[in-house]
Amino acid sequence: MAYSDKVIDHYNNPRNVGQLDKSSETVGTGLVGAPECGDVMRLQIRVNPETQVIEEAKFKTFGCGSAIASSSLATEWVKGKTVEEALQIKNTDIVKELALPPVKIHCSVLAEDAIRAAIGDWKKKNGVAETEAATQTVAAQ
Amino acid sequence: MQPASAVHDYFAVFGLPRKLAIDTSALERSFYKLSRKLHPDLYARASAGEQQWSLDQTSLLNDAYRTLRNPVSRTEYLLKLEGKPVASEEQAPQGDKPKDSRAPADMLEEVFELNMQLEEMRMNRKMGEDDPSLRGDLEKARTQFEGQLADLDEELKTHWQQWDAAVDAGATERTEQVKDKMFALLDRRRYIRNLVRDVNDALGA
Repeated sequence: MAYSDKVIDHYNNPRNVGQLDKSSETVGTGLVGAPECGDVMRLQIRVNPETQVIEEAKFKTFGCGSAIASSSLATEWVKGKTVEEALQIKNTDIVKELALPPVKIHCSVLAEDAIRAAIGDWKKKNGVAETEAATQTVAAQ
Repeated sequence: MQPASAVHDYFAVFGLPRKLAIDTSALERSFYKLSRKLHPDLYARASAGEQQWSLDQTSLLNDAYRTLRNPVSRTEYLLKLEGKPVASEEQAPQGDKPKDSRAPADMLEEVFELNMQLEEMRMNRKMGEDDPSLRGDLEKARTQFEGQLADLDEELKTHWQQWDAAVDAGATERTEQVKDKMFALLDRRRYIRNLVRDVNDALGA
């Protein structure tokens, strides 16, 4: 199966690979995985406590090219958004942007889950009430 | 003579009920007995229709035997028959959010850490270095995961007994519960099996 140019670009030049201090109050960490392919994805955000804007995002993904590209794109997209705005990102947006084939759609689902899990973790740390959209992911952890 | 399409369920091929605690040596004997009866050589002078039937039955029998003799594929097959197919990459959920594809949360940290170590090992190797302490860690991890795999296989057998007992009792609610448990166990098993494979690759075993 051929990867799209955008997937290859993110795969060869992944944005925001790395790690943030997990114990920091301003950092939210989401760790998710897909049993069908054995992928694991960690996505972290640093949130400005005043404005609730995501100022920094890092990821580390073990998985196929599409999983790496999906998480790389996810970090690019969440940066500069407020946490509530970031929760609006849908896996279908990622599918469209990266032109993922049907068999790789679960990679985009994983990236969306990772965003939600990271935001959920940050909210839990900071005692922010869960919106309905985020509750599902947190409850599943 | 019956048409080849009459039997599709692999359990039924051997005249077995849909139960999981199978005596595999009895299964093997049964397989050889049926193979002899169906063998295409016996139909060399039969009609074209009967020859085809013998071929079809033989190939069905082989598929059935291969699937049922292995504990994992047998369980996966039963779950599929019972309307709970185990996810595979080819049939991964498309479009909507999958309900059952979440990894066991308690395993993720472990999986992630191991992957970090594996990556470090591969990088070291690329640089022509071999870090003995890292190798030691990975060997320990391999032993640990192989142990977990063996434990899961034992646990699977207790689920089989629960399944068989629930089927005998006609307890639909209990069969549903056991199905869920087996499904979760196989998910976990797939993860660990992949880890063992990756560790073995990295260690050059």
